[in-house]
Amino acid sequence: MTSPPVTGPAAVPQHPGGPGPARFRPRRTPPAGAVRPTRRRVLSYWRQYLAISPFFLIFIGFSFFPVFYSLYLAFQRWDGMGTMQFVGLDQFRFLWSDPVFWLSIRNTLVIWVLSTVPTLFGALVLATLLHSVRRFKGFYRIALYVPNVTSIVAVSIFFGAVFSNNFGLVNAILGVVGISPVPWLSNPWLIKLVIALLMTWMWTGYNMIIYLAGLQAIPTQIYEAAKLDGAGPIRTFFQITMPIMRPIVLFTVVISTINGLQSFSEPQVLFGSNAANPNLGGPGQAGLTTLLYFYQSAFVNNDYGYGAAIVWAFFVLILVMVVINWRVVQRGRKS
Amino acid sequence: MDLSRRGFLQAAALTAAASGLTVACGNGSGSAGTKNGKNLTMWYWGGALSDKVVAEARTHFSKQVKLTVASIGGDFKQKLTTTLAAGTSVPDITGIKGEDIASFLPNANRFLDLNDLGFKKVSSQYLEWKTKLAQTEDGKQIGFPIDIGPTALFYRADLFDKAGLPTDPDKVAAQAGTWDEYFALGTELGKKLPGTYLINNISSVFNIAVGQGTERFIDRDNRFIGDQDHIRQAWNTAVRPYTLGIDAKINDNTWNAAIGKNLTTELGAAWHALDIEQAAPKTKGDWRVCATPGGPANQGGSYLALPKQCRNPEEAFKIISWILSPENDARGFADAAIFPAAPAAYSMPAMTGGDPFFGGQKVIEVFGPAAKSIPAAYEAPADAAVMAPFMTGLTSIEAKGVKPDDAWKDAVAQAKQIARRQGVK
Repeated sequence: MTSPPVTGPAAVPQHPGGPGPARFRPRRTPPAGAVRPTRRRVLSYWRQYLAISPFFLIFIGFSFFPVFYSLYLAFQRWDGMGTMQFVGLDQFRFLWSDPVFWLSIRNTLVIWVLSTVPTLFGALVLATLLHSVRRFKGFYRIALYVPNVTSIVAVSIFFGAVFSNNFGLVNAILGVVGISPVPWLSNPWLIKLVIALLMTWMWTGYNMIIYLAGLQAIPTQIYEAAKLDGAGPIRTFFQITMPIMRPIVLFTVVISTINGLQSFSEPQVLFGSNAANPNLGGPGQAGLTTLLYFYQSAFVNNDYGYGAAIVWAFFVLILVMVVINWRVVQRGRKS
Repeated sequence: MDLSRRGFLQAAALTAAASGLTVACGNGSGSAGTKNGKNLTMWYWGGALSDKVVAEARTHFSKQVKLTVASIGGDFKQKLTTTLAAGTSVPDITGIKGEDIASFLPNANRFLDLNDLGFKKVSSQYLEWKTKLAQTEDGKQIGFPIDIGPTALFYRADLFDKAGLPTDPDKVAAQAGTWDEYFALGTELGKKLPGTYLINNISSVFNIAVGQGTERFIDRDNRFIGDQDHIRQAWNTAVRPYTLGIDAKINDNTWNAAIGKNLTTELGAAWHALDIEQAAPKTKGDWRVCATPGGPANQGGSYLALPKQCRNPEEAFKIISWILSPENDARGFADAAIFPAAPAAYSMPAMTGGDPFFGGQKVIEVFGPAAKSIPAAYEAPADAAVMAPFMTGLTSIEAKGVKPDDAWKDAVAQAKQIARRQGVK
């Protein structure tokens, strides 16, 4: 972020060190020295630190360390067991000239757009509808949320059977109407569409619940006031609901970006039964997402260094996408 | 959907109890911590060994050692790699899949040399080409062969009959002796029985055609040879059924539905018979087996190995050589369709019976001779990784209609890059 938002926390007065107005610090001992009291103050909270330590210990062991170890691996060649060999920037050089890597990035982005846009739009529509429903509220909420807690593997197998080229349910129904079978799982675009549809199916309910919570937090007086001023339902939605919901939309956009770009299980399971080439994303590698390519390089081909390079390059891409999203949504807020 | 405090506490307590149970179970299965030569653990995966033979091995050796067996699901190679790299809780005996053995050879020092434990004395009982695939260049033997996957041509005798073709295995084998003859047969079948196909996909043809040769994608001097004539020929062979229109282009799980319907033949290893049987039980008795066009190849077949941390190498070796003795190996064929790597087993009653799925045909008469004449080829650690782009290329031809020549160029370029990445010259 190069320029901070104008209406951001710039308004909060800053305290550049020193014994300023200590509004936020409970003062127990008089400030005799500069260093010792701080340390003692930290130590006096040891019980609290102990209480929260399990999370941080597990986090350091199972998240923090592996993340940075993978950065180290990206500069090595390693088969998982033997001796590592330092190769400098070789892995990234390979990455730059690897057409499959760029193909996987393209696939990931296309699948992400095809899934995130309908997911968020559908979630908003459903949340608005559900917000005005009077009866069976609990039933609708559960029914719409169930796909999200269903196992991805089960859903993928189900989708694989439904969209199967030769003997699938969808093609059978199309056949009844007189439409010739559609190659859902071999045409490069339809493969992406099926994966995106699967992700939409899984994530719409999740985002819907978040939107619903946001909608319920808006006081009804505002709507009453808008009604008195003569605003119709559509105008109310765009001029009252949307501006208030902006932080929530931002949250879902960021989370969907992070989730959507990390699609892995869907293509892995959908094309895992491809006997000749499991883990390569199906015909023409059209379903090969970047994470699937990483999995294939590291865990199938035993090329852990290259796998690490793929995920780090991908991490940079996700970061860029999140920042772009953030700025797009924030810019709307200024105007 | 209001959640009372009591309800929340109850739910939390239940969750905690459930997770405690899971942890307890998890501990139970991974109890390999004690340093005692009397306890041995063995890792394998479902279907790798006959469960009956393994159960008998436990009682047979119960006086000497306590053998704990764990059937490991999921990605077996990955779990084994991680455990070996970590160096603790390593199994004393482990299975290694045939397609993974080459990638373990560079790390042969993680395993015991079975020759030191007495494998040399019994090695002549097992097929030489299979034993060699688990041997390092300097002669260290890390894998004890369990089974092999000799290929054959499975065909629908009823459909052959309908098309007016011979149905007897010997006659079919004679008419489909080479790939060209086989494809000519397929063209005729396609004409007589519209809507049927000779093969399910061209990758399976490529796989077998490569396996029929003595060289693969990387030679012993660690040089990439995947762009040379022997691979190009296998590629051309694979593409031919596609251009002839006798390729069903099935690259997904719809094979299950197609196998009983519009596929007239199927190329595969001995264990593939079980797949066909499970996918198309109604076609029982309609299938026959004969020799692979162009000669036999091997697909799969696993090993047992002893990691360096093995707590009792002598007993462990006794156990594996008992489980894999020709007699017990032959029983594995009856129990779990595991085709033995010991030729002596082929003449044992457990294997010479007729198979009702193949109309009572004695399938060992096809697989036995095939097993003995499979060519020995050098398989480099990176071989599978380098082969993948060729498979992708063939699938692209089928799915997207890419021109075979363009697909070949792409595949070679990609394979070269993967080879370079893996340190191949």
